[in-house]
Amino acid sequence: MAEEAAGPMNPALEGKAYPAVPFTVDPERVARFRATFGEERDIVPPTFATAAEWAVFPGIIADPELGLDFSRAVHAQQEYEWHRPFVVGETLTARPRIALIREKGGHGFLTVETELIGADGAIVVVARATLIERGA
Amino acid sequence: MPELRVRFEDLSVGYGIPKLARSVTREDVERYADASGDRNPLHLDDGFARSVGFPGVIAHGMFTMGHLAHCLTDWLGDPSALSRMDVQLRAPVFLGDVIVADGRVKALDPKTRTVVLDVWVTVDRDGTVEYPIRRGEAEVRLSAE
Repeated sequence: MAEEAAGPMNPALEGKAYPAVPFTVDPERVARFRATFGEERDIVPPTFATAAEWAVFPGIIADPELGLDFSRAVHAQQEYEWHRPFVVGETLTARPRIALIREKGGHGFLTVETELIGADGAIVVVARATLIERGA
Repeated sequence: MPELRVRFEDLSVGYGIPKLARSVTREDVERYADASGDRNPLHLDDGFARSVGFPGVIAHGMFTMGHLAHCLTDWLGDPSALSRMDVQLRAPVFLGDVIVADGRVKALDPKTRTVVLDVWVTVDRDGTVEYPIRRGEAEVRLSAE
């Protein structure tokens, strides 16, 4: 049963994997990213990984089983492990799962781990985003 | 390929990387929302931001982390030398703020040529220094020439 997201997140969802989605390292988007940070060189900024995470976050935020109230959520922590640089034009697979759900001090903590996998099957980046859902 | 500009042998515990300051404008935040795909109204709609207790839109936490990563890759030369970052987002960044990214070497492993740095981002508001990012950690790998 889906509940309205007034209460805490459903701790049983820790470990839940979500469908993998393709993510293309789009040259125009990379250019906008570079422009944002004043990067004048022809590289892909490492935190372009954030754009890949946003390919999967909407599906998790909207998951009625999870019961996250995104309007009370703040981004509290972010980790990236980069195994190799992005290649412009390549299509990766973004594979998200819920790594952690905790309740502490009246607040909910949610960590989403997203693996970005290259066409060769090797990991390119591991991203861990932690949100705090402030107590209502 | 961009060239690595930092030599492992030149670093020691306490070494400070060059700071990098930038201002934050509405145009920057909107461009970042487009580029990242994070179109949360907290970053785009002043009315919404006020309804949740801010004076107006705030920059994305990942905008601030992106600036910190840019500071590191500027220093390194070769962005692929950056192997890990882990940061806590602690204070909001407002339009008109000047954010300063900074870091200091805290550990070196000569065997793997890996360097761990404390990294952070500050903003000075009328003499009060806040930390949009504090207690961040970055790891860089400096392969031999």
